[in-house]
Amino acid sequence: MTTSDLLILCAAGMLVSAYLMVGQKALFTAIRLYGVQSLLLGIVTVTTAVSESRPELFVTAAITVVLKAILIPWFLMRLIDRIGIHREIEPFLNVPASLLVCLGLTVVGYRVSTGFPGGAQGVSHHLIGVALSMLLIGLFLMVTRKKAITQILALLTVENAVFLVAVGVTPGMPLVVELGIAFDIIVAVLLLGTLVRRIVDRFESMDVSRLSKLKG
Amino acid sequence: MNLLVWTLTVPLVTAAIGGLGGPRKFKEAVMVGGLLLTFALCVATARAFLGGAVPAAFGDALRVDGLSALMLVLCGYVGLLSATYGVGYLRRNEARKLVTPRMRREFYGLIPAYVFAMLLVSMSNNLGIMWIAVELTTLASVFLITFHDKDTSLEAGWKFLVLGSLGLAFALLGTVLLFAAGQGHLGEGMAALNWTHFMQAAPSLHPFTLRLGVVFALIGYGTKAGLAPMHTWKPDAYREAPSPAGVLMAVGMLNGALYCLLRIHLISKAALGPAFSGDLLLMLGLLSVLIATPFILVQWNLKRLLAYSSIEHVGIMAVGIGLGGEAAAFGALLHMTYHSLAKPVAFFSAGTLAQLHSSSNFDRIGTGTFSRAPVASGLLVLAALMITGSPPFGLFFSEMTILKAGFFSAHVTATSIFLAALVVLFCGFAFQIGGIVLGPPRDPKDRRVPQPEQFDVAMVTAIVAAIVAIVSAFYLPASLLALIHAATQVVWGSA
Repeated sequence: MTTSDLLILCAAGMLVSAYLMVGQKALFTAIRLYGVQSLLLGIVTVTTAVSESRPELFVTAAITVVLKAILIPWFLMRLIDRIGIHREIEPFLNVPASLLVCLGLTVVGYRVSTGFPGGAQGVSHHLIGVALSMLLIGLFLMVTRKKAITQILALLTVENAVFLVAVGVTPGMPLVVELGIAFDIIVAVLLLGTLVRRIVDRFESMDVSRLSKLKG
Repeated sequence: MNLLVWTLTVPLVTAAIGGLGGPRKFKEAVMVGGLLLTFALCVATARAFLGGAVPAAFGDALRVDGLSALMLVLCGYVGLLSATYGVGYLRRNEARKLVTPRMRREFYGLIPAYVFAMLLVSMSNNLGIMWIAVELTTLASVFLITFHDKDTSLEAGWKFLVLGSLGLAFALLGTVLLFAAGQGHLGEGMAALNWTHFMQAAPSLHPFTLRLGVVFALIGYGTKAGLAPMHTWKPDAYREAPSPAGVLMAVGMLNGALYCLLRIHLISKAALGPAFSGDLLLMLGLLSVLIATPFILVQWNLKRLLAYSSIEHVGIMAVGIGLGGEAAAFGALLHMTYHSLAKPVAFFSAGTLAQLHSSSNFDRIGTGTFSRAPVASGLLVLAALMITGSPPFGLFFSEMTILKAGFFSAHVTATSIFLAALVVLFCGFAFQIGGIVLGPPRDPKDRRVPQPEQFDVAMVTAIVAAIVAIVSAFYLPASLLALIHAATQVVWGSA
């Protein structure tokens, strides 16, 4: 298997994980899917680092795997264990319809990716296409789901998509910036987790569609 | 040590001390002292800039040009006001036994931390650092929004964090795409993300990638600025946050986000011409002004009213920048300056009224507050006149400058709609504030008796802020005007 095959395979795997997340109601599985997605992102990063001999990408890969494939999923699982809510309720749009919408979003993502320099062919076409599709799917998840945890996962999927773009079309962000971004993301997830716990304590539910007192 | 490093270190240390335990008097002194020193350092930085230097640190990752200098001074000023008013605010709540140790820690820790993050935004020359700093402002402000720990504040905090993080994900994608657009032209390492490098490399940026990046970045930072249609977090957040934090959001954060929008706009302008991002900003700005109008007319809450006013003002500034041309850019920056001076008065007087009545809802505040709280009500009327742009106050001049530039530009229709919206906004605001302040006094049989108005440090802060705002309309210090001109030079060169 050549390097580009591996890259395309991993990118495809990330897209599949995003689709599975859309079709999934058990929160534990959704979190695991996010973990797998981040792991695949890590593999994409390592492969790029080796094939294009960009050693600084190893650090990015290490951050990705430790933070997003291990720490964040672990934190989120502990969180739903504590609050004892394990399933997503009926989303605003049912699963078959959601998957059809996501299919359309993927087409849009791939269409846009052809505008990039060298985007019409080769590996970067797939990386950008997948990344933009994941971005759109993440946004879609965010507006159609009610559970706070699913919204966090949708946000993190969007974040993964951004990082895939970064690996796919740039020579890697500067390391200081990369570290700063990683720090910010982990703090954001911690804060989101704290807020979820406070919301559950208060409303005895993490159904964010109940947060609807503030209008006008 | 470098002046910029000091300017950042002082609020950070203040935050660290405030976040730890300690007697109340000590924490109060540290916060006010720390932010006073911060303001002094901001002014010193601006003076150094006016003296001809270009203060910079960390290999130009932080760099102060005219725009940054103006932002720093305004941010430092609002930080100081927020600290002194905040001391009074918390004392009033302490007197009514409403404050828990958690609140004290969060308040004295997060307000200086928020100021720190906003100063970091204002002096960042590196798009990566700028993104990190904006994210820091979001993180620092979440627990200020959920400060009172009510149902509604949790809701507001959640919306703010989710929408803000989403906006920032967009901004990050925008930054990555801008970086991708400049591949091979930006150099190596950390400095590759420097704004100054982008400006030099502008003609050789890849156009498609750049356009996509600019759109994502403008939408992302536009969310933080509260431009419509990404403004929906703003009314909730402003209502729930305590007034000292609210003023930081309405002035510091708004200016900071506008700073990011400007930096992105300038890259786009240098590479693609002024029309692409300019028209986008003009559209978002006009939409913000138009969306704010109906909500101000039917508003039921005083602080939400201020939030819609803030959406209107960021819209006005975006319109000023979007119109293009030196005069409009100057108008927008003048507007930002006067808005930063006037808005605190509105927040402090509204905050005082809300505190006295234990709520910021109109039905709880009732009518005829002038007889119960003459100082706060008087200041609120004054602030309403200022922020709706009535003559002779500063915002009148800045709005006129933008309007005049608009009518002389190619966007006459847009400017006409804009003018009509401003007139309606003025009437709506006057109607709402008039209803609270004037009108018949409160029903004597109402059992929810409001607190009496007291002369304390918060009130002194509000009065001082009002005096500064009034004086600035008639006499703008030459050095501040020089800063605004220097910032205009950054935004619209001498071309």
